[in-house]
This record gives sequence, structure tokens and C-alpha cells, in this order.
Amino acid sequence: MEPADAAHALAEIDRRREQVIRRRVFPRWWWWAYAGLFFLLATSVESGSIVIVGAGIVLFAVGAFLVDIPVRRAARAATVRGEFATPKSRLQSALGLLGFVVVLVALALLTGLGWKALGLPFPGTVAGAVAGVVFALVGPLLVRWEAAVLLRRTSRR
Amino acid sequence: MSTPQFDGLIHAPTRLSLVAFLASTEWVEFKVLRDSLELSDSALSKQLTTLESTGYVEIRKAFVGKRPRTSARLTADGRTAFERHVLALQEIVSGTALAMGPSDSRE
Repeated sequence: MEPADAAHALAEIDRRREQVIRRRVFPRWWWWAYAGLFFLLATSVESGSIVIVGAGIVLFAVGAFLVDIPVRRAARAATVRGEFATPKSRLQSALGLLGFVVVLVALALLTGLGWKALGLPFPGTVAGAVAGVVFALVGPLLVRWEAAVLLRRTSRR
Repeated sequence: MSTPQFDGLIHAPTRLSLVAFLASTEWVEFKVLRDSLELSDSALSKQLTTLESTGYVEIRKAFVGKRPRTSARLTADGRTAFERHVLALQEIVSGTALAMGPSDSRE
């Protein structure tokens, strides 16, 4: 076998590994579905009515369970090998996720408090909407970043 | 540590893609393999059967509700053979491989 043929075979192997790692588990609509659920929850909490808050929490829980079904199914259909993730990459992943959550909460608080300070109506709902939109826009980027981290870690050559 | 060994069974183009995909995963559903590798049902079945008969792949059939769901994964032997094959390819690329005789390869 010629070195060029072997190199071609190795490139194919790398391509398939990348295909597995980059396989799309979260569809685009999933992020926006969660954005809608955040908005719904924030709106219900802002209503101040215990009944509406309770209904909002239940709807959020049921909605989250339902929108997660296809994601769980897609993730189970082809699980990336656990040994690809080292403690370091797991830590990077966890820190990335934690950072994302902190930014979302901070953004929601700043928006809500700022909105309220300006005397504008529905600060909680607006904060929920802003957090939802940022979640839907930045979430896919976070997933792509995590895939890139895993690819760098598993790079053969 | 694995020693390099070129494996003709794995190296066939479609099987190389299939085994490389399986090597990066635990269990994979038939549908995912078919769509990812852009193979027909029959072509994928044929390749999986070949790999299963050599002990490289394990196939599991389960029912989710009334729907049959077939999954596959590399066995320990399959994984070892793949790792050794990759090492052999790397050696060829780096130019350190010894001349391959018929005994070096399968099939």
C-alpha cells in the first residue's frame, strides 16, 4: 500500500470520528422551545397569582420533559465513547456550562432590575424573554465549542 | 500496547467508514449508521453481517413499543483490530512499515 492511500484511509477515519462528535443531537427548534418555556415561566411568576405561578411551573416541567424526548432519543441512538472525554475536557465542559448559566442568570437579573428601575412594565417577563433569546442563540455555539474541545482532545495526528 | 497489523477486512472502503464510526461510539442504531454513512439498508446489513461473522461487531435487536430497533457496536476484538489497523496505517504514512506480506493481512 502506498503512503498516500494510507493517509487517505486515516483521513477517512478522522472524518468519521468528527462526524460522530459533531452529530447534531439538539435540533434548532429545541433551543427556541426552551426560550418559549423560560418566557412562559417568567410571565407566570410575574403574575403574582399562586395559581398561575403553579400552572406555569407545571407547564414548564411538562414542556421541558416533552421537548427533551427527541433529544434523549437522538443522544441514545449513537453515544460518543466515554473514554474520549478526559477529566480535563469534562472540567472544561462543566465550566463552560456553568459560565453559560451564570451569564444567563446575570443577564436576566440585570435586564429585569434595569427595566424595573426605569419604571417600565413587566420586568420579569422581559427578563425571561431576553434570557430565552440569548439561550437560543448562544446555546448552539456552546455545543459546537464543546465538540471542538472533544475533537482537539481526540485528534490522532 | 497494540502492535500494528494491517487488516484487509476492515480496510475495504465501506467497512473502514463503518468501523471508524463504530469505534467512536458505544451502541449505534442502524438508522443512524445508514444515514451517516449514506448506505442502503441492504448494503449496511451486508457489511454488518460480515463484521459480525468475524466477531468484530455485536448486533442487538430490541423492540421499542412495537417497533424493532437494531443497534451495533464494536466488540473488544473489533476494537483491538481497528486500533492495530490504524497503527499500521500510521506506520505506512510515516514510512516505517516493513514490507507487508500475505500473512500480514486478513481476507
